[in-house]
Amino acid sequence: MDVILAAMGDAFTWQALLAIVIGTWAGIIIGGLPGLGSVVGLTIFLPFTFGMDVITSMALLIGVYCGSVYGGSITAILINTPGTPQSAATVFDGYPMTQQGRVDEALGWATFASFFGGVLSCVLLIFCAPQLAKFAVNFGSIEVFALVCLAMLCIVGISRGSLLKGLVCGMMGFFFSMVGSDPITGADRFTFGTYALSSGLDLIPVVVGAFALSEVFVRFSARDEEATSIPEARLRFPTLREIGRRLIELVRGSFIGSFVGALPGTGAAAAAFISYAAAQKLSPRRANLGKGEPDGIIASESSNNAVTGSAFIPTLALGIPGDVVTAMMMGAMVIHGITPGVRLMADQAQTVYALFVVLIIVNVAMLILSKPSIGLFRYLFKLPLGFVMAGIVMFSFIGAVSVRGNPLDLVVAALTGILAYVLRRGGYPLAPLVIGMVLGPALESSLRRGLLISRGDFFSFFTHSGIATTLFVLIALFLVWTVAAGVLEWRAKLAAQEERS
Amino acid sequence: MTSLRYLLAALALIGATQSAVAADNLDIIVPFAAGGATDIVARSFEPTFSQQLGVTSVVRNVAGASATVGTAEVAKSEGNPNIIGYEPAGALTIQPSLKKLPYGPDSFTYICRTVSNPMFLMVSKSSDITSFKQLVKESQDQPFLYGSSGPGTLPHLAMAATVVNSDLKAEHIPYSGSGPAMNALAGNEIQIMADTETILENYDLRPLAVFADHRVEGYDDVPTIEELGLPELDFAVWQGVVAPKGISDERAQQYADACKATVESDKFKTFADKAKAGIAYLGPDDFKSFVQKRFEANKQVLKDAGLTR
Repeated sequence: MDVILAAMGDAFTWQALLAIVIGTWAGIIIGGLPGLGSVVGLTIFLPFTFGMDVITSMALLIGVYCGSVYGGSITAILINTPGTPQSAATVFDGYPMTQQGRVDEALGWATFASFFGGVLSCVLLIFCAPQLAKFAVNFGSIEVFALVCLAMLCIVGISRGSLLKGLVCGMMGFFFSMVGSDPITGADRFTFGTYALSSGLDLIPVVVGAFALSEVFVRFSARDEEATSIPEARLRFPTLREIGRRLIELVRGSFIGSFVGALPGTGAAAAAFISYAAAQKLSPRRANLGKGEPDGIIASESSNNAVTGSAFIPTLALGIPGDVVTAMMMGAMVIHGITPGVRLMADQAQTVYALFVVLIIVNVAMLILSKPSIGLFRYLFKLPLGFVMAGIVMFSFIGAVSVRGNPLDLVVAALTGILAYVLRRGGYPLAPLVIGMVLGPALESSLRRGLLISRGDFFSFFTHSGIATTLFVLIALFLVWTVAAGVLEWRAKLAAQEERS
Repeated sequence: MTSLRYLLAALALIGATQSAVAADNLDIIVPFAAGGATDIVARSFEPTFSQQLGVTSVVRNVAGASATVGTAEVAKSEGNPNIIGYEPAGALTIQPSLKKLPYGPDSFTYICRTVSNPMFLMVSKSSDITSFKQLVKESQDQPFLYGSSGPGTLPHLAMAATVVNSDLKAEHIPYSGSGPAMNALAGNEIQIMADTETILENYDLRPLAVFADHRVEGYDDVPTIEELGLPELDFAVWQGVVAPKGISDERAQQYADACKATVESDKFKTFADKAKAGIAYLGPDDFKSFVQKRFEANKQVLKDAGLTR
């Protein structure tokens, strides 16, 4: 108990609180600007932390991280452009709600779901970190392969209209992710002999092109003014009764996010897609998903923010960072002489508890700061549309190039933008492209590693472990369910036709 | 269409300001993303180094393709006195033998080596293997699997060389970094891994041998590879500063002096201590011949293991 009180004392200093406010607010704004996401935000703030003490610097970075994951939802809802890849699934229902004039409600749900997911994963982190870390260790390559397969099925769910078009885009994203070095042999693939391509295509330039730039093109090619104007950003929190009605959705999204976040090599974008796929099968209002249903926003935002807390589980308990973002946090800790790893909890319990407290304060700060941040976006988007769009183009390119400092990424962003515009004109959904690109590398390397481990025997994947078997059974059920539902629908249609004739 | 005109006007303005701010700074290229292990050392190195040189410098992360993209950027800036690279071992001494690159070990002016940490051959503490001999013996029925932080990385090479030069039977599984590989080791997906002291200390690992020509302080009971009856294998994770070819001797000397002073400064020493980076300074000439030697040795390992292009 003394340790926890002392940790509270570390977290409630004015420096730490100031760092939280600055970090969280900056994070929300950075996350909201298309192209600039968590990694760019942390890169900007990392050098400032070198002169701070460990809790203050972690407070600043955690603030930026959590804020940016939430901030991405603001532009996803307002202008159909996720500010970060993590919020790509928020677009599905967020933007339709905006078109129906329900901006305030959509932003309210996104904010509340982010807060809920963030806090729930903090609680899990505090009470179940060792158990969850132990469970995550059991997730070897084969188990990750099964999980990624399950997540890939999400493409089926979001390709409304034409499954074929969705699959085409999914495969395209998958192909994009294969350009560059082969993850197993290190040989160059699909580089057409050009050295510049050997570093592969990064996710951020592709996402920026696919969503932000194509949105700018679409708006400028639209003839009527009505379609191109941006509605005023307002925020209305859901009432307790509304929350009660959708509590189960909030809890499910948060648990999926917390769980996926604890696994190595996945991350918030994958968590959001998995959670959205789950909502499509389990939400009582699933028929409306994709047409402006708050459940969709909840599924995406509660899970991606739940990753922020649980991503620290492998980092703190095992010293294994789950994604790029936590790897950067770990770097910041190392600078301050704290090495995350198996002995961290025993050696530095006070620091770890202080981090937990900081995480919770950051989520509260996010809830409080959501209103002024959205207010700022309201003023920004009141500027003439040309300026807003120019700003989006500028930030998109800055974001595209600042991840790796590779000029090629500008070309990639521009070309993806043009390609995405053409695809949108042809009625192709763009989300599968991002899903393919996010999950492609994990799918490929886990499959090939799994084959190395099982010495080329794919069928032994199904019986490799209890976890693997369970996941493959779930995939089979999902497929049977989808096909059966399709057949039933088709028969009902047929019957209706017969009746008419 | 008025808004389209606004857009173009605003974009033109942005372009104009962009070209105005490009000034005469020293660019320090780090070929990894911000926040990684190399980046952190580079960023702690930078303040003292710029102070010594009397310039303003900017750490620029140019990541991708096993650090070769950033390294190539330094190599192709021939004659530019305002760019240097803070380089890892792999990009200078392994990658040029693995694939076609726009640079080789001769493409640089070598300034200094800053830090170096020997690598250990390690197994999980939960395994009952306590010696290299036992490891070799148990690998005979069923080959072990060893992990690495990626194909063609130092952990990969160190183990490939061990397998070629001993009776150990083991196969390679690459991961996307030391973290995921550690996760696999903890879950017994792989059994062996070669990495530095930092990794060894942070996880539940047992060192069986060290890839160095002498035993390492603090690990006095861990034998060297040579003591185990293998040829001497020297694998260490090191970093150093290189400049492009074609800069003046005077400029090269300035860099070298600044680097020496930085590595010897208390500030950098304190940092290195915390980050468990072993300071191992080498001057321009020593560094150059060291890189050349490592390049040849690694090439041989790659050839023996059938990994060359």
